[in-house]
Amino acid sequence: MKRRDFFKTGIMAGAALSLNFEGLQAALASNTMTVQQAPDLVAVMGSEPEAMLDKALEALGSIDKYVKKGQKIVIKPNIGWDRSPEMAGNTNPELIQALVKRCLNAGASKVTVFDHTCDNWQKCYDSSGIAAAVKAAGGVIVPGNDEKYYKTVPLPNGVSLKSTQIHEALLEADAWINVPVLKNHGGAKLSCAMKNYMGIVWDRRFFHQNDLQQCIADICTWPKKPVLNIVDAYRIMHQNGPQGKSLADVASIKSLIASPDIVAVDTAALRMFNQVKKLDMEAVGHIGKGEEMKLGSTDLDKLNIQRIRI
Amino acid sequence: MNKLNILKVLRVILAILFFVPILLYFVDFGGKLPDTFHYLAGIQVIPAFLAGMAGIFIFQLLLAFVLGRIYCSVICPAGVLQDIINRIYCIGEKKKKGSRRFKYHKPMNWLRYGLLGIGVLLALAGSIELWTLLDPYSNFGRISANLFRPIVVWGNNLLADVLMKMDNYALYHVTLSTATIAGVIAGFIILIIFAVMVSLRGRLYCNTLCPLGALLGLASKEALFRVSIDKSTCIKCGICEHTCKAEAINSKEMTVDSSRCVDCFNCVSSCSKSSITYGFKPFYKKEEVKEQPAVKPIGKESNSRRSFLATGATVATTLPVVSAIAKSTGVTSSSSGEKVQPITPPGSLNLKQFKEKCTGCHLCVVRCPSQILRPAGLEYGFGYMLKPHVSYMNSYCNYECTVCSEVCPNHALKPLSKEEKAVTQIGIAEFFIDRCIVKTEGTDCGACSEHCPTQAVHMVPYTGTLTIPAVEPDLCVGCGGCESICPVRPDRAIIVKANPVHQYIEKPEEEEVLDIEIDDFGF
Repeated sequence: MKRRDFFKTGIMAGAALSLNFEGLQAALASNTMTVQQAPDLVAVMGSEPEAMLDKALEALGSIDKYVKKGQKIVIKPNIGWDRSPEMAGNTNPELIQALVKRCLNAGASKVTVFDHTCDNWQKCYDSSGIAAAVKAAGGVIVPGNDEKYYKTVPLPNGVSLKSTQIHEALLEADAWINVPVLKNHGGAKLSCAMKNYMGIVWDRRFFHQNDLQQCIADICTWPKKPVLNIVDAYRIMHQNGPQGKSLADVASIKSLIASPDIVAVDTAALRMFNQVKKLDMEAVGHIGKGEEMKLGSTDLDKLNIQRIRI
Repeated sequence: MNKLNILKVLRVILAILFFVPILLYFVDFGGKLPDTFHYLAGIQVIPAFLAGMAGIFIFQLLLAFVLGRIYCSVICPAGVLQDIINRIYCIGEKKKKGSRRFKYHKPMNWLRYGLLGIGVLLALAGSIELWTLLDPYSNFGRISANLFRPIVVWGNNLLADVLMKMDNYALYHVTLSTATIAGVIAGFIILIIFAVMVSLRGRLYCNTLCPLGALLGLASKEALFRVSIDKSTCIKCGICEHTCKAEAINSKEMTVDSSRCVDCFNCVSSCSKSSITYGFKPFYKKEEVKEQPAVKPIGKESNSRRSFLATGATVATTLPVVSAIAKSTGVTSSSSGEKVQPITPPGSLNLKQFKEKCTGCHLCVVRCPSQILRPAGLEYGFGYMLKPHVSYMNSYCNYECTVCSEVCPNHALKPLSKEEKAVTQIGIAEFFIDRCIVKTEGTDCGACSEHCPTQAVHMVPYTGTLTIPAVEPDLCVGCGGCESICPVRPDRAIIVKANPVHQYIEKPEEEEVLDIEIDDFGF
């Protein structure tokens, strides 16, 4: 055991050293420090949504890495409930507005936003402030209220969920960005990046009938993965989720977590959530299942994480 | 002969101004029109009466007494609809077979006053089915809600699909779930009745079956302003008679039955001699008009007396039937407590009140943004026929929405404020644990609790990391969020049971807002 650990550490240290050395060499060669390796996950704390988004994108190496000129981009927030932004039932509209702008500035030909809402879709789009935010930023907000908008796609790697109907805006998009809000959830226990996938499908009843936690992991195996997951933790709903009763359910922790690794981003979000309310990793079954299905890693210690305080 | 008939032009313009907005309000599936449009329903006579809007009711009666049955040609959407049907019927027809196909008929007083009398008696006994079936506004509502609206939505969807292909989301696809079989049948039958009666005999419905027509007829019988024939210039050509949709002009006797005249003024422009005019002809000045031998008035009087007596007799003989109906439809008869009661919309206070006030116009049905109100068939008995009940099959009652209670012209639903709505309990969720996914499958679900706005349905520890729903009845408002989303089939694991008398829950306690701060990432 000890010897194995020793070797492991040695190899890791060696790898780290050599990496750093390469980086240093490159930096010396070009006389700049920009060739720093991009982190796997970025967490920002202590400012407004737009400022935190910019810090995170900067740390990850600019939006151009994820959004290419002329691409059709879909941004998928959580707009599930007829709730005002203060209630934290939906993704923060300021964050969405800023992100739509960044995508358009990066040269996206079109930025589309939608969610398959739980409450009446028009009320959700309005009360959340997201419809107005998207329009103000120059994006397009499309309805997701009718089966008509959804097309069946196979999920070859799914365990319980083998195929499902997904919104055509996503099917037609060149890339998409998953932007959940961090919440407590009565059914799934935690609602974050993986759970946010339930807003891209039409038939959610199947999920509830056939092992909710497994189906959430299954839908995340859809080959067209989001290029980035950006968790809005500016305000989080720590109890009575996912729609909440009052402001007593909300904690303003002014944070944001971003990563292309959906399992890592949910793991990090859960750890952050745990500082406000206790919630066991085992209870949030879909995160562990996601790792088993090779969707990402729960082992944050092995990841290159950049923490930024503003 | 095509001289400008200002009265008719005015009538048509006003009719359009009243009709188009109320029609749009009924078919407006996107909820785009402001809720103030509901006043167009509120000024209808029978709704105003049932709502206890005495001012509107008296105004309408006075209007009929002063100007005649203007209501029937201008304000009543069913009347205007019949005029439109008539217009369509006349397309392509020669005048003789089209707009001049009518001829004088004697009034069917026993029928119209009989229905009015029975209707009043039944209503006094607390059963308004007759008004539900015959009220013109409610019938118009049912036609619009159950026939016109689906057609408009269908057209919208076709167009939306085409636009969608062109990447345009200005229109969106709408799925209607409010047009029930009962509603469609009711709308279809009355539309056919209108079409047949109009094409055969013009405004026959308004002068036989419509109890409101009868009531306004009583008020307008001696209207101050009315259509009359100048006997000194009339040549008895009969053209006015053939033009009269109400079949109220007797050209041979040169009389106009003001109780049936709906003030359409078509006759006024048809007369080449300008003998038929609308003007101030108060009953107390009748003597001034040069009457021919006194035989006629007496005959007329005795006629009306006879019909009055006949009507009275008819009504009297139907009394036992009336009381039987009233009893059978009464709420008190629900002695068998097992019978499933309908969930009545918020603001209805209780089942009895609602049954006595709602005439099934389906305005709440079309305005409900969640599409949860459904016109009933006979599943809740004859007494609940065509009235809306709350169904949580596909959706649920939005916690903050008060639209249905605001638009009801009959005040069968009393207007609720958001605060009142939030504590009105229209039913209580009942949980059947043996059907619940968490128990039967051993997996997480919680869809019901997710959708509960008050957390009356909350998750409690079950086995392992699993949690299972539990209901706190004192917090439940019966919105159906839980029932609508429960994935269990065929019978759902959580079902809202109606409160025949709506209850009020305690206002949820304001939880203290804690200032939670963290200064670490936690990872």
